Amino acid sequence: MTLNRDFFVALFFLVLVTVIYAATYSLPEPMFGQLASWTWPRIILIPLGFLSLVLMVQSQTSGEEAATIASFTGWLKDNVKPFICFLLFFGFLYLMPVLGMLLGGLLYVFLTLCVLGGWSPRQLGLHAGISAVFVIGMWAIFSLALGVVLPEGTLLRVY
Amino acid sequence: MFENLVLAAPELFTLSTMMLMMVGTVAGLLAGAVPGFTIAMAVVLVLPFTFSMSPVQGLATMIAVYVGGLSGGLMSGILTGIPGTPSSVATTFDGYPLARSGQPGLALGIGVWSSFFGGIFAALVLMLVAPQLALIGLEFQPVDYFSLIIFALTVTASLAGDQMVKGLMSGLFGLLIATVGSDVVFGQPRFTFGIDRLEQGFAFLPVLVGIFAFGRLLGDVNTSEKAHQPLGGETHVVHINYLAAAREVLSRWTNVLRSSAIGVFVGVLPAAGSTISNVLAYDQAKKASKEHDEFGKGAVDGIIAPEAANNATAGGALIVMMALGLPGDIMTAIMLGALLIHDVIPSPSFITDEPTIAYSIFLAFFVANFMMLVLQSFTLRGFVLITKVKLYMLTGVILFYCALGMFALNNISWDMWTLFFFGILGFLMRALGFPVVPLVLGVVLGSIAEARLSQVFARSDDIMVFLTRPWSLFFLLLACFSIVFPIYQKHRGKAWWAGFYPSLLLIVMAYPVFLMPGTIRPVAAGLMVLAGLIIAVLHLRRDRTPQSAE
Repeated sequence: MTLNRDFFVALFFLVLVTVIYAATYSLPEPMFGQLASWTWPRIILIPLGFLSLVLMVQSQTSGEEAATIASFTGWLKDNVKPFICFLLFFGFLYLMPVLGMLLGGLLYVFLTLCVLGGWSPRQLGLHAGISAVFVIGMWAIFSLALGVVLPEGTLLRVY
Repeated sequence: MFENLVLAAPELFTLSTMMLMMVGTVAGLLAGAVPGFTIAMAVVLVLPFTFSMSPVQGLATMIAVYVGGLSGGLMSGILTGIPGTPSSVATTFDGYPLARSGQPGLALGIGVWSSFFGGIFAALVLMLVAPQLALIGLEFQPVDYFSLIIFALTVTASLAGDQMVKGLMSGLFGLLIATVGSDVVFGQPRFTFGIDRLEQGFAFLPVLVGIFAFGRLLGDVNTSEKAHQPLGGETHVVHINYLAAAREVLSRWTNVLRSSAIGVFVGVLPAAGSTISNVLAYDQAKKASKEHDEFGKGAVDGIIAPEAANNATAGGALIVMMALGLPGDIMTAIMLGALLIHDVIPSPSFITDEPTIAYSIFLAFFVANFMMLVLQSFTLRGFVLITKVKLYMLTGVILFYCALGMFALNNISWDMWTLFFFGILGFLMRALGFPVVPLVLGVVLGSIAEARLSQVFARSDDIMVFLTRPWSLFFLLLACFSIVFPIYQKHRGKAWWAGFYPSLLLIVMAYPVFLMPGTIRPVAAGLMVLAGLIIAVLHLRRDRTPQSAE
């Protein structure tokens, strides 16, 4: 047996299908003439489970090499910048109650631009300018022109 | 008809109405171009302004916003790979690759002209056969809708390409995601595992934008070299050659006509809409094309089909709204509300009772498409500046805009978290070799399919109804042929049996058409059988000729 990438993916889907299928048994029974809550999910889960098995079989016949810790860390290294961007976005959402959309947006866009574009003094100035123009501009359009009440943080009350 | 047009023209062609329509078209173009700002939001924002206008003026303005919005989605779809609206999802499949390959001007030009021709086709259909076509919409029952959605879902098989198993799994996973939240029958929590937030389910727009925006943008900037490239490659001047683009579109007129017809047909069906039509038209274009291997890499036909279809859908939806008083989608529902505010009640006799208003709407739809063509030329000039911006700068700003737009959608922070979670999911699925488009289709169509299925069961628990209703049988048979189509395409011209696919398709599809009411469709069924037999005989003869020669 080759424990390659597709094998683990198929395994993940099989576990997911099993868990969700088991969860359908806790859904209420239908009354007369009603579609049961579990009918549609089960219609989906059965072929999904079958295809997961097919993928598992395919993973053994495809000749794909076994996944190793080294190949996984290599993939992580290749994609380090996207992962930092995800972390920054997580931080932006997590700190929304404190920083609000305006301050949080300014900080998020500035940091993302620096992570992706570079940290030289010239770039820092450029990124600060881009963040200020586009974040404040769009914030103003949504909150002042369209009347959308955007989240404000505890640090800066704007409404 | 011409008398009515003459009566309606002076009502519509006033300076103030034309100005309002121009403003409406620009507003729609901008709304369609900003991811997360839906056309429906733009039409709703315009609605209060129409209260003080005459019915013709108000509806003309709203139609202009609607048409502008449908076309505006192509700008962001082609230039950033993020569909501005769900109706331009399929435009990104080939529009973005063509723009990235250094031809953003051609991609945009083709998109604009396809939208225009699709809209004009729908406007002509609207004027000529509105009442007759609307009656087909009346024939549709929930069972037929469900089968139509199943057919739409089979598109995933052809979108999956070489990764058939992963593509189908991706589509099913999308359907499964759509089941999370409150169930459509009882309204009770389903698969929430005790997490209160999950009871709201996942709004499909944040899912769609998350998967497309994060996955695509962050996938493009993982190295410094790629991050510092401009979006349009190393091309420094983006020139939109409208004449060349128009020639390109017109040379593929069969695709324009087919996609527009699909768009109008889907628009006629209440609650189907351009979300479905653009994907269906793309799929049919791919199946019909001799260059199907180019689809997904920047095929011209792949841009024409969804753009012609989504604009044509607007015409179809207007047909049903006016002839039957049924809203085909959210936009026509809002327009219906606007008509009611002005004491105008659409009904089967609306076109004969209120010819001035009805034909003004026909004309407004026609004129709005011309306005869209002209005004989009100007707005595009501003929008193409994006192609000169470095990718990493766009990434930072667009991701923030996406978060802002998703929050504004329902004014809840949960939608931003949905955007984030599905951004990660989209990124991981791409990395694991899963096509993400079937996943999006599954999420978009999943809840509609379940709602229709529950309506079927509310009427009867006899599942044979799927096979006894002609339209349902028609779509289910079409779905079967659609699933095996990639296999046929692979063996076309190589395997002997593949030559019988078109004739078998025609003969089998003739059966449900024969069961449909009226006289025209049974006659059409007879012609389909005849055509199928002729193709089969020709194939047999062609097959024998070389053997006899040997």
